[in-house]
Amino acid sequence: MKKFYGSLLLVTLLYFSQVLQVKAQLPWDEIMMGRGEICAALMYEHSSWNQYWEGSYLRENANIGTFTRQMGMPMIAMGLTKKINIITSLPYVSTKASGGTQVGQSGIQDLSISAKVDWLQKQLGPGRLLFLTNAHFSTPVGNYLSDYMPFSIGFGAPEFGLRGTGAFKMDNGLVFRAAFAYLWRGQSEIERDYYYQDGSVYSSFMNVPDALNIHAAIGYWAFDNRLRLEATYMSLNCLNGDDIRSYNRPQPTNKTEVSQVGAWAQYYINSERGLGALAYINQTISGRNMGKATTIGVGLTYQFKVY
Amino acid sequence: MIMKNFNKVYLSLFFLLIITSGCLEETPNFYEFNDYEFENLDENGGSWQTILVTNPSQISISQPEATNSSSYQSELTVLKQQMSALSTAEKQAVQYWSSNPILRWNEIALELAAKYNLIPGPNADGTYTLPNPANPVGPPPFPFAHPPYTSRMLAYLSVAQFDALVVAWHYKFQYKRPAPYHVASEIKPAYAPSQLPSYPSDGATVALVSKEILTTMFPLEAKYLEKKYQEHISSLVHAGINVPSDIEAGVIIGTEVVKLAKQRASTDGMAQAQTTKPVSDSIANAALERFGWKWENTETPQRPVGLTPLFGRVKMWHVPTVEEVRPGLPPVPGSPQFDADARELKQFAAHMTLEQRRVANWWEDGLGSYTPPGHWNKFAKLAIVKNKLNPLRTARVFAYMNTAIMDAGIACWDTKYYFHYPRPVETIPGFKTILGTPNFPAYTSGHSTFSAAGAEVLSYFFPADAAQFRAWAEEAAVSRLYGGIHYRFDAEVGITQGKNVGTYAVNRAKSDGAL
Repeated sequence: MKKFYGSLLLVTLLYFSQVLQVKAQLPWDEIMMGRGEICAALMYEHSSWNQYWEGSYLRENANIGTFTRQMGMPMIAMGLTKKINIITSLPYVSTKASGGTQVGQSGIQDLSISAKVDWLQKQLGPGRLLFLTNAHFSTPVGNYLSDYMPFSIGFGAPEFGLRGTGAFKMDNGLVFRAAFAYLWRGQSEIERDYYYQDGSVYSSFMNVPDALNIHAAIGYWAFDNRLRLEATYMSLNCLNGDDIRSYNRPQPTNKTEVSQVGAWAQYYINSERGLGALAYINQTISGRNMGKATTIGVGLTYQFKVY
Repeated sequence: MIMKNFNKVYLSLFFLLIITSGCLEETPNFYEFNDYEFENLDENGGSWQTILVTNPSQISISQPEATNSSSYQSELTVLKQQMSALSTAEKQAVQYWSSNPILRWNEIALELAAKYNLIPGPNADGTYTLPNPANPVGPPPFPFAHPPYTSRMLAYLSVAQFDALVVAWHYKFQYKRPAPYHVASEIKPAYAPSQLPSYPSDGATVALVSKEILTTMFPLEAKYLEKKYQEHISSLVHAGINVPSDIEAGVIIGTEVVKLAKQRASTDGMAQAQTTKPVSDSIANAALERFGWKWENTETPQRPVGLTPLFGRVKMWHVPTVEEVRPGLPPVPGSPQFDADARELKQFAAHMTLEQRRVANWWEDGLGSYTPPGHWNKFAKLAIVKNKLNPLRTARVFAYMNTAIMDAGIACWDTKYYFHYPRPVETIPGFKTILGTPNFPAYTSGHSTFSAAGAEVLSYFFPADAAQFRAWAEEAAVSRLYGGIHYRFDAEVGITQGKNVGTYAVNRAKSDGAL
């Protein structure tokens, strides 16, 4: 019988596919680029786990051993205007397990387009208060199979998210930031027409549960705003869905939950324009129907002005 | 200005979302079909050959009260009162159970198969604990509804339903008590009116045998099944098709048939199918001595015993001895034919097309699913509704198909453990698959034998769709090659074996008195 009951990392993964909207900026940070500025980035991320949560039970599975996910992602951020930035990305993802006899999955994952709007910048005492929103849409563009967890490279459904980000950026370089998002998820088309989700389902579509997504960070800008350091927190909680059943594989209908802490560093070699580099690390500290992953990422950014 | 535009953008995105969320595909939990008029009432159905019951007259029910009797009239009064005050839930139950409730009990059986088709994981010390019917709660819970278990569960369910309905038909057309809505024209039945006599209630006899057989097979579901049973029984009155005395007579018949089914099940050899490690080792070593190879479990930690090594010795329904449907020797590993078939698997894995991937997954029917026997029950259900079969004909299709499928499983398992042939992940170095490799030997393919037997029986009952059923069986067989868990010879010989087994069931069906 099948023996790759593992867990996925899926949402984390997906999350990172959007996370990595680098340059200066991520969808949930307080950073905006000026009009006509373009930042192109190339990211590499390595994530692995050897334990996963089956429901809320943290377990190992020797038929998975250590699960590894790698991602390469080109990304482009652009300052449409000073107040409106557009960010797009298209990751290539590859998964594999050290144990068991099942093959991993590789392919182009989801195209993501997001629009970030700067609504408020107001000096308040020792710093500036900022409020931004971000709307994003992502959808699978390849033909990867979502119903092949934990190896699936994505959950295979469109996602629409609305996020509000508030930040307080102090004149001394400290930044406090929190972002809250609601993520609507659509359906994932699978290749069987019957599956079990708390009972029989006669359909070749799975409903991927909606989720709440929180980001928070304490950051510090040093060396004339050329080095950016952040301590980060992220959580993602599906609002419904089922648990992975006993020693069974996950599926896109699962109620996934994850929280992570991490660190982020970004360095602009020539202040505003030109080359930059970044690196980050994230550690999953709690979860449900997810792998307990450790993730590291590195990236190069190049910023230039076109108009 | 730009901000205002952006407000609009956000707003339109929001509405777009609302609109698109209305376009989501349905994810139904059961098959919704329109009520239909039975294509035939099979008035001689009571004379059809049964499988467990020797003769319908061995089960007796009392002669019903006449429709003009005061007791019947008072039953009608109660029925009319109840029908006039149905709650929404009761109306929904009437719609759900339909005039062919075998389809619903079959769906319930498949759902429980999928619920319990979970392989026990290892304990912390690397050992495995098997489900134990003496302690069903576990852990692990009993049963593990793997394909052999599920095939047998469906066979007993369907045979009991069929025999009980033959007996019910026997008395229906002996006593010919009309349905309540023919006695009192003000009663409007929920389903298409028919001339089928209502004493004894076919619905009640189906409800009783289904609940009892499924409770035997899934003891932890007793409460759930009792609730379904009560809902079904109530719906018979609420639909205007039975009065309580119809139901009581149906229950009596069902109860007697259940005894016969349980009697057979308790002595069919299934209790010995999952062996100890010494027995399992001796089976493997016998193959090693005879053929020079043996299959081994490839999981970590290794499972000490394969899945039901002695399922091949379970009592068959239609085949006198399992040896007569055991195929010949598979290609020797390392022989030219073996090498060609192994090379083919590597090519599939290296150049998998989307269509091949789809076929592998559509037929996976693996852990957590209703298994290949379940898949064929779904096909049967669709064909039954399409052809507007009455409950008796429906039961006959399921009974012959599910006994043929169980026989195919027995024949396949006998072959698997006789030849003990290794899986592709064992014989092809470094081979990785898109499907999980099962915990039993390769030759012959279970999917292929189950499917060919199912297709053979369905092709007999529904000749217009025979080509489709046989094409599905072929697709099920080849799906295992795409999945990387079977060689072509496993699949091809499995198809031949399954057809062969299915023919025994078809030959018996041809002479059971139904045309």
